Amino acid sequence: MSRLAADLVVTPPANPAGSGFSLEASLAADPGITILFGHSGAGKTTALLALLGAMRPQTGRISLGDRVLFDSSKKIDVAVRERRVGIVFQDALLFPHLDARANVAFGARDRAGNSAADAWLERVGALGLAHRKPAELSGGERQRVALARALAAAPDLLLLDEPFSALDPAAREHLGSLLLELQAGARVPFLHVTHDPAEALRLGGAMLVLEAGRVVAKGTPTALLAPGGLASDRLDATNWLRGTVVADGDDGGRVDLGGTVVLTGRLHRAPGKTVVLALPAEEPIIATDPARGTSARNILAGEIAAIVASADAVDVIVATPALLRVRVTRAAVSDLHLAKGLKIFLLVKATSFRVVG
Amino acid sequence: MIGPALALSLLVSALATAVVALAGTASGRLVARSRFRGREIADALCHLPLVLPPTVVGYGLLLVFGRNGWIGGTLRAVTGFSIPFTWVACVLAAAVMAFPMMHRAARAAFEGIDRRHEMAAASLGASRLRSFLTVELPLARRGLTAGVTLAYARALGEFGATLILAGNIPGRTQTLALAVYESVIAGEHNTALVLSVMLSLVSVAALLLVARLSRAS
Repeated sequence: MSRLAADLVVTPPANPAGSGFSLEASLAADPGITILFGHSGAGKTTALLALLGAMRPQTGRISLGDRVLFDSSKKIDVAVRERRVGIVFQDALLFPHLDARANVAFGARDRAGNSAADAWLERVGALGLAHRKPAELSGGERQRVALARALAAAPDLLLLDEPFSALDPAAREHLGSLLLELQAGARVPFLHVTHDPAEALRLGGAMLVLEAGRVVAKGTPTALLAPGGLASDRLDATNWLRGTVVADGDDGGRVDLGGTVVLTGRLHRAPGKTVVLALPAEEPIIATDPARGTSARNILAGEIAAIVASADAVDVIVATPALLRVRVTRAAVSDLHLAKGLKIFLLVKATSFRVVG
Repeated sequence: MIGPALALSLLVSALATAVVALAGTASGRLVARSRFRGREIADALCHLPLVLPPTVVGYGLLLVFGRNGWIGGTLRAVTGFSIPFTWVACVLAAAVMAFPMMHRAARAAFEGIDRRHEMAAASLGASRLRSFLTVELPLARRGLTAGVTLAYARALGEFGATLILAGNIPGRTQTLALAVYESVIAGEHNTALVLSVMLSLVSVAALLLVARLSRAS
């Protein structure tokens, strides 16, 4: 079992912006997928390059399992090629002059490179593409091959730098499932960089939130991204909800959001599967009495857990018990006498829930 | 004078190009990828034969490789061989004059490679040599081919430095370019025309060959 533990202080050498950016972060990841969450410029890529060994931290220590990869106080700096740290870039970045199989065989350490490469291509569902050059592959296909190439080298840690950000939603979903499968097989930490909350909720067992080079929050994606969670205030006014499919059919689906079962549109997911839903905070309607004769399929009883006022609007956090963020106007708050602890009802249309992961 | 001059020109430019292809690839890669003190100065020195008059380069080579030169003197003392006024001097002059072409092309080719390719290769356990041979060289191929072509053209047409270091000895150091000069001076315009056409044909043939090779691989 390899566990990543890193304390890093990195000041990138050339900084054209002159912003004095530096990364000072403690990162830890157990086997499983750990999300490194943050917006561009937060230092995510700098952190990955330092772990990979391509950028030297000023001070710090990186250990992976019982191996020390970097220790500034003991002058240890293991070379990239000996770290056994794999990487998948945003744009796949396969070797353009080699076909898919040769790309994967490049990383297979044993001499039976080609048969090992074929086995990996089969695992990622790309065996039929073995003889294609990267230029002849779609974005999703390239990422499959890039995953196979990185894993064929049997890394003790896999770094994923926004690998799905250039893909369409369907390819994202397929690759997400594939990544979860591959992780289960590899049993090493996957450090997955993203700024997509849906991706974080779908893939991550753990999450670190990076902002301006510092880790500002850590926990599970569900807890951090839930309304009122440490990372949610940094997002737009959308409820990012991870749930389990209870049922799905022509009349729509039912999803358990953790104590709250909601009716949704058609999910196209089997019961028991994980699903990530997005619900814009402007959509739910707050009612002080249970409403009748409405087309809203969900009438959820809840209690106001918090009221967060911003310059333009007021966000009411409602425990149903799953937490939901509802954005209303100040007038609505005063007319309905909304206050913390008040028992209310939420009217939410089934079609307001969008399946995002 | 036509036959020996053609043979010598082909031999000299081929040898000079071979030497320059290796040296220019090495120096271009070094300047593109390594960070060392005096990198800019080294790069400027590599460009020197491009900016100096060829006669100055030839004179400089004579100072270094001449009978009593810094290297030439030692070489003569040890082996008895003296470089000036031999075919080796032709190769040396052509190589030095053609070197900046290859250096520049190689530097641009290696700088154009996304560094993350090298990171990926290293993360997959590749040694530096393996990464260079199997990733960088193939990715730099187009630029390197262009550099070889330019270097060959420069070597084939070299005149000034060759004249000073190798002289103009028919049958020994007289290349096509020198032969053209001599025939014009002597008023043999027909010979000059034949030689010029020949030089043009060899150049075009070389360019076509390189273009075909780079397409095929």
